[in-house]
Amino acid sequence: MNVKKLIRQAENFLSSEERKRKEKVKYLKQVIKKLRQHELNLKAAHEQCADKKGREQLKKEWQLTHAQRKKGVNRLRSLKKKK
Amino acid sequence: MMQKFLLPFLFAILAYGFWISPDFKEISAGVAIFLFGMLALEEGFKAFTGGFLEKVLQKTTNKLWKSVSFGVISTTIMQSSSLVSVISISFISAGLISLAAGIGIVFGANLGTTTGAWLVAGLGLKVKISAYAMPMLVFGIVLIFQKSKELKGAGYVLAGLGFLFLGIHHMKEGFEAFKDNIDLTAYAVEGYAGVFLFTLIGLVATVVMQSSHATLVLIITALSAQQITYENALALAIGANVGTTITAVIGSLSANIQGRRLAGAHLIFNLVTGFVAILFIYQLTDLVDTVSHLLGIDTDNFTLKLAVFHTIFNTIGVALMLPFVSQLVTLLQKVLKEASRKDSTPIYLNDAAMSLPNTALAAVRMETLHLYDNAARIIAGGLSLKLEDIEGDRPLDEVIFKSRKVLPTDIDELYQNTVKSLYGDIVDFISRVQGDISPEQTEELFHLRAAGRDIVEAIKDTKHLQKNLSKYFLADNPYIQSEYNALRKRLASVMRTLHQVRHHSDDTATVLSLDALKVEMKEHDQRLGHELSGLIRQHLISAQISVSLMNDNTYAYDVAKNLVQMGEVLFSNGNLDQKQAERSVLLSEDEVEALANSHKEPL
Repeated sequence: MNVKKLIRQAENFLSSEERKRKEKVKYLKQVIKKLRQHELNLKAAHEQCADKKGREQLKKEWQLTHAQRKKGVNRLRSLKKKK
Repeated sequence: MMQKFLLPFLFAILAYGFWISPDFKEISAGVAIFLFGMLALEEGFKAFTGGFLEKVLQKTTNKLWKSVSFGVISTTIMQSSSLVSVISISFISAGLISLAAGIGIVFGANLGTTTGAWLVAGLGLKVKISAYAMPMLVFGIVLIFQKSKELKGAGYVLAGLGFLFLGIHHMKEGFEAFKDNIDLTAYAVEGYAGVFLFTLIGLVATVVMQSSHATLVLIITALSAQQITYENALALAIGANVGTTITAVIGSLSANIQGRRLAGAHLIFNLVTGFVAILFIYQLTDLVDTVSHLLGIDTDNFTLKLAVFHTIFNTIGVALMLPFVSQLVTLLQKVLKEASRKDSTPIYLNDAAMSLPNTALAAVRMETLHLYDNAARIIAGGLSLKLEDIEGDRPLDEVIFKSRKVLPTDIDELYQNTVKSLYGDIVDFISRVQGDISPEQTEELFHLRAAGRDIVEAIKDTKHLQKNLSKYFLADNPYIQSEYNALRKRLASVMRTLHQVRHHSDDTATVLSLDALKVEMKEHDQRLGHELSGLIRQHLISAQISVSLMNDNTYAYDVAKNLVQMGEVLFSNGNLDQKQAERSVLLSEDEVEALANSHKEPL
C-alpha cells in the first residue's frame, strides 16, 4: 500500500462526512434487501392466489414495493457516486 | 435557610484546614482534581451516548441477565455508576426500557463500580501514575479543541483519566506526608460502634462529594498510608455504597414516576446490601481473608483486601436481590403510585428524558403517539364509530352496517380537553431540547413536530367532515347514504391499517406499506368524480349534494393523508439512520399519482 493511499484512508476514517455516507449506504442496503424479500414474497403469493380480487391487490402491493425498491437503488447509486 | 449557611460553613472549615495543614490542602486538592476528572470523564462519555450506548442499551435489556451485564460492563468502562444510573433513569423516563430492566442495570452498575477499587488498589498505588497523567492531560486537551464530536469526547475521556490519576497521586502524597505529622489511627474506633460511626462518615463523605468512587479512592489511599485501620476502612466502604444513592435520588427528582421508582430500587438495594454487610461484617472479614488467600493476596495487603471486600459484599447484594426483582417492581409500583392524570397530561416529557438527545427524541415520539391515541378517539367519534370497533377484528362492512346511530361527539370540546394542551407541551419540549444535537437529530425532531401537526390537522378536517357526515350517512336517499358510508369505511380502514402497522412495525416493509394507502386514496379520488357524474346524470342525487360529497371527500382524503404521514414518522422503530433510509424510499406525491394511474390500465 503506498503512502498516498494510506493518507487517503486515514482522511476517510477521520472525516465524519465520509463515515456518515458509509452509514447511509449501509442502512439503505438493508432497506433495499428487506424490500427485495418482501417483493419476492408478494410475487410468490400473487402466483399462488386463485381469487381474482386478491391477485389484483397483491399485484398492486408488489408494484408499490418494486417502485420503492427502484427508488432506493437509484438513491444508493447516487450515494456511491459521491465517494 | 440551611443551604444559605452550609456553603460558607464548609468554606470556612476547609480554609481553616488549609491554613493549619498543607497536607490536608494537598489531600483536598487531590479529591477536587479527582472529582473534576470524573466530570470530564462523564462529559466525554456523553459524546458517545448519541448513538452507540443507546443502541447497546436498547438491545441488551430484553433479559434480566443482559441488563445486569450491561450495568457491569458500562460502569467498568466509564468508571461512573452515577452516569450509568442517570442514563438508565433517562431511558426509563422516555419509556425506552422497563423498570425491571432498569433495576437490572442498577444492580450491575453496583458490581461494576467495584472494579474501580481494584484498579486503584492494584495499579494506582503500585505505579507512579502521575507520570501517565501528564501526557494524558496534554493529549486530552489538544483533542478537546478538535471540531469532531467524537474526537472532542475522546479528549474529555483522556483528560478526565489524567485528572483522576493526578488526583489519586495528590491524595497519596498528602496522606504519606500527613502520617509524619499526625496519626489518624489514634482516632480509630473498634467494635460495632466503630462500624456504625465510620459507615456514617463514609455515607456523609459520599453525599458531599456525590461520588462513591472518590470516597473509595480516598479510603484506599488513606489505608495505604496507614492513616485508618482496615476495619474502619471496611465500614467507610459500606457507607460510601449507601451514600452513592443520593446521586440517583437527585437525578430522579426531575424524572417521571418510573424514574423515581428506579431511584427507589437503587436506594433499597444499597440499604439492604449495607445492612447485610454491617450485620455480618466479621463473617465477611473472614471470607475476605479466605478469598484473598486463594487469590494470592498478601495478608498485610489491606488495600487489595478492601477491594475484595467491596466486590464480595456487592456480589452478595446482587445475589440476594436478583431473585426478587419482580417483587421489588410490584412493591415500588404499590408504594410510589402514579398520580391520577388527565388525558392531556404528558406521560413521557420530563427533564430526565431531556438529558440525552436520543431519550429526548424517544420521549417526543412516545408522547406524539399518546397524542395520536387521544386524536384517534376523536376521529372515530366524528365518524360515529367506536375506536374499539375500528381497531377490532370484525369486518369493517359489518362494523359500519351495525353503527347506524349518530354518536354525539363534540370535537371542539374534546380537542380542547385532550389534544390542544398536550400538543402545546410537545412543541414546548421540542423547543427546549438543548445540548449537542446532531443535524440528523434536529431533522428527526422536525419530522416529529410535523407528525403532531398532521394529527391536529386530521382532527380539524374530521370536524368539517362530521357536519355533513352525521346528517347524510342515515339519509333517506340510499345513494347518498351509501356514498357517505363508503367514506366512513375508507377512513376506518385507514385507521385499522395504521393500528396494525403500529403494532407490527418491527419490519421495514410493514411501515413502508403505508404508501399503499396513499395510492388507494388517489385511486378512490379519481374514481369518485366519475361515480358522482353518473349519479347526477341519472338524477339519483342532486348537484348540490354532489358538491357536498366532493368537499367531504377532500376532507376525508386530507384526514387519511395526514394520518398516513404521521404513521410513516411515528411507527418506525429503528434508529435515526434506519428511519432516514426508510424515508428516502417513500413515494412522493407525483410517484403515488403515477402508480395510481398505472393501475387504471388493464393488468
